[in-house]
Amino acid sequence: MNQALQDLGEYIAGRLSEEIDGQEVAYDELMIAARPDGLIKTMRFLRDDSQCLFKCLVDICGVDYPDRERRFEVVYNLVSVAHNQRIRVKVPVGENEAVPSVTQVFPSADWYERETWDLYGVYFSNHPDLRRILTDYGFEGHPLRKDFPLTGHVEVRYDDEQQRVVYEPVHLTQEFRTFDFLSPWEGMTRQLPGDEKAEEAES
Amino acid sequence: MSESVPKLSAAAGATPEDLTRALDKELNSKGFLLTSAASVINLAANWARTGSMWPMTFGLACCAVEMIHAYMPRYDLDRFGVVVRGSPRQADVMIVAGTLTNKMAPALRKVYDQMAEPRWVVSMGSCANGGGYYTYSYSVVRGCDRVVPVDIYVPGCPPTAEALVYGILQLQKKIRRTEAFIR
Amino acid sequence: MPAETQIKNLTVNFGPQHPAAHGVLRMVMEMDGEVVERLDPHIGLLHRGTEKLIEYKSYLQSIPYFDRLDYVSPMSLEHAFVLAAEKLLGIQPPPRGQYVRTLFAEITRLTNHMFNVPALALDIGAMTPLLWACEQREIVMEFYERVCGARLHAAYFRVGGVHQDLPAGLAEDIMLWAEKLPAFIDDIETLLSENRIFKQRTVNIGSVSAEDALAWGFSGPMLRASGVPWDLRKAQPYDAYADMDFDIPIGKHGDVYSRYMVRIAEMRQSLRIVKQAIENMPDGPVMTEDGKVAPPKRSEMKSSMEALIHHFKLYTEGFHVPAGETYTAVEAPKGEFAVYLVSDGTNRPYRCKIRAPGFAHLQAMNFMCKGHMLADSVSVLGSIDPVFGEIDR
Repeated sequence: MNQALQDLGEYIAGRLSEEIDGQEVAYDELMIAARPDGLIKTMRFLRDDSQCLFKCLVDICGVDYPDRERRFEVVYNLVSVAHNQRIRVKVPVGENEAVPSVTQVFPSADWYERETWDLYGVYFSNHPDLRRILTDYGFEGHPLRKDFPLTGHVEVRYDDEQQRVVYEPVHLTQEFRTFDFLSPWEGMTRQLPGDEKAEEAES
Repeated sequence: MSESVPKLSAAAGATPEDLTRALDKELNSKGFLLTSAASVINLAANWARTGSMWPMTFGLACCAVEMIHAYMPRYDLDRFGVVVRGSPRQADVMIVAGTLTNKMAPALRKVYDQMAEPRWVVSMGSCANGGGYYTYSYSVVRGCDRVVPVDIYVPGCPPTAEALVYGILQLQKKIRRTEAFIR
Repeated sequence: MPAETQIKNLTVNFGPQHPAAHGVLRMVMEMDGEVVERLDPHIGLLHRGTEKLIEYKSYLQSIPYFDRLDYVSPMSLEHAFVLAAEKLLGIQPPPRGQYVRTLFAEITRLTNHMFNVPALALDIGAMTPLLWACEQREIVMEFYERVCGARLHAAYFRVGGVHQDLPAGLAEDIMLWAEKLPAFIDDIETLLSENRIFKQRTVNIGSVSAEDALAWGFSGPMLRASGVPWDLRKAQPYDAYADMDFDIPIGKHGDVYSRYMVRIAEMRQSLRIVKQAIENMPDGPVMTEDGKVAPPKRSEMKSSMEALIHHFKLYTEGFHVPAGETYTAVEAPKGEFAVYLVSDGTNRPYRCKIRAPGFAHLQAMNFMCKGHMLADSVSVLGSIDPVFGEIDR
């Protein structure tokens, strides 16, 4: 399985040398790094080429890396039923950049792109209907960004005077307690801090 | 009559037969019901209310599964006169079964407002009681009592079907304690 | 000259509180008389921010969130997360752990189909199957309770195996139940399969071709009903599925009736797996022996300082998962349920995207219902088996 994936990755990299930045096999999974401008062509190729036939787009999601220059990564997961393979396509995108929508290639991309827009604020150009999907009507912000607080900004309450549900700033009696486990004493990694030479000594 | 009424009201679990007998006696002797017999009416009204509590099927999340199981043959809430209704207009009780989110809150309130008086709310499960496992989420209402007044809280995640049956029985007890008519 | 008449389509709002909505779904339908012209499902009414919460919890604390995603088939979803974490950690549960997981994943598939099939029947007017099925589900919930203590939200599958071994006598009881269950499936079939009303409401409703099913990202029974032989248990086997002998039922027409039939047939196949898993279950531990992932035994904690420290660290800080990312899918009862897990080497997931099968199925509602009657949209909705915990997350 691994060798087949390796071959497939090299084949794709060879055919799409203009559009993609690289390919990698990790944990028995093939990943290719694409660029936003060549994304549609890459997706068409992956869908139609007889070696690939990734006809089923199963998932699109965003990942937020605030430290990176281009902050977000949009991840597409595809399945080839014919060849029993999976592939992951990653596209880096900055905060004020757009990714071309792949709805014209895969109709199932519609809601997934709406979800990514909703949760991360990644804009998809040429999407037929880019609305919020999961969050509340009139929600502000993109909740899965790393800088969005876990508890959000508003909470609801029924107001007896106004006879309707009103939104108010969050007030918590007890804040969410989050602990930093990154001190040097934390030992649940296999290698103890300061003991980096242990492995060398063993081998 | 005057001596039988306190006895009846003292025994909250008076059987329907006792009740009709008392009412018959009152009507036969006087031809009408006096205000002094209000407690009898109270009993009758509460007996009727507790005997046919029709809850609204408000299954929001996981607890809905346990709620459905409580209606189904093994726990069989029907024998307490609890029959589910799909419309809030026909329901007396709303069982809020599951996580209430910000997006759902206005709809929940609207459904509650559509229910006819008298109405009761059972909050089922820790999410509905106070947010539970999702308290700190940006999209969850921290307890459905922020939106509707709650009568009975059933704890658990999810509460077992048995726990919900117990909660319904507690609600019946609570209703029996209340005065149906304010004099 | 006839006066020009403007005919306006009627817009109907369905839900969010509707007995046939299987939870909290709002659909805005544009109707031309009785015929659905456009259907716009509004989801997110049960959006609880699970993915965000998981980023703030350790791996062990994240497992119960998966129970609460798809509350009709809780253990199957834990399975995906646990497998993903194991892949990144590079550990494998011992054989008995794998068998127990397979056993319970299949029991969960049975409960899911035992709920979905009668719910579909209920939506289109048949009450009895649900009454019968819930009695069987109660028995399964008892098995759940015996194995993990909870009737519904198990948190039984752990990274590295399962939490505890089966209690004495449980395997025999499951076997007895598995012997009796085919009679129940037959009963359901006598009520529905040849029922004229049921067939009128389901045959040729919401048909999807194999090509369309793939393009819309279908998976599980929905895809197989359209005639695509694709099951992750066979194609990319995980845990003990490679050792099991079972068949994959395939539908032909991709309509509501085919999906119902595929689910019924799947239940019979699941029973085969349940029996095999019990018969061939190896002896040994159910949890990996890796002390950095699995908690120590209680008896060890009484005598060993190191075990005590490990226990404390595991239940406060949790284990650290090496940096990496994986997309791990399992064949959940509803379709391909996957977890895209990104780890940055700490004790919490950096990103945990949950791929819910229902999400892809529900977005095809417009495609499937267009041109059908209003009442048919309910049977299509019932056939895609939506559970909003996983769709909205």
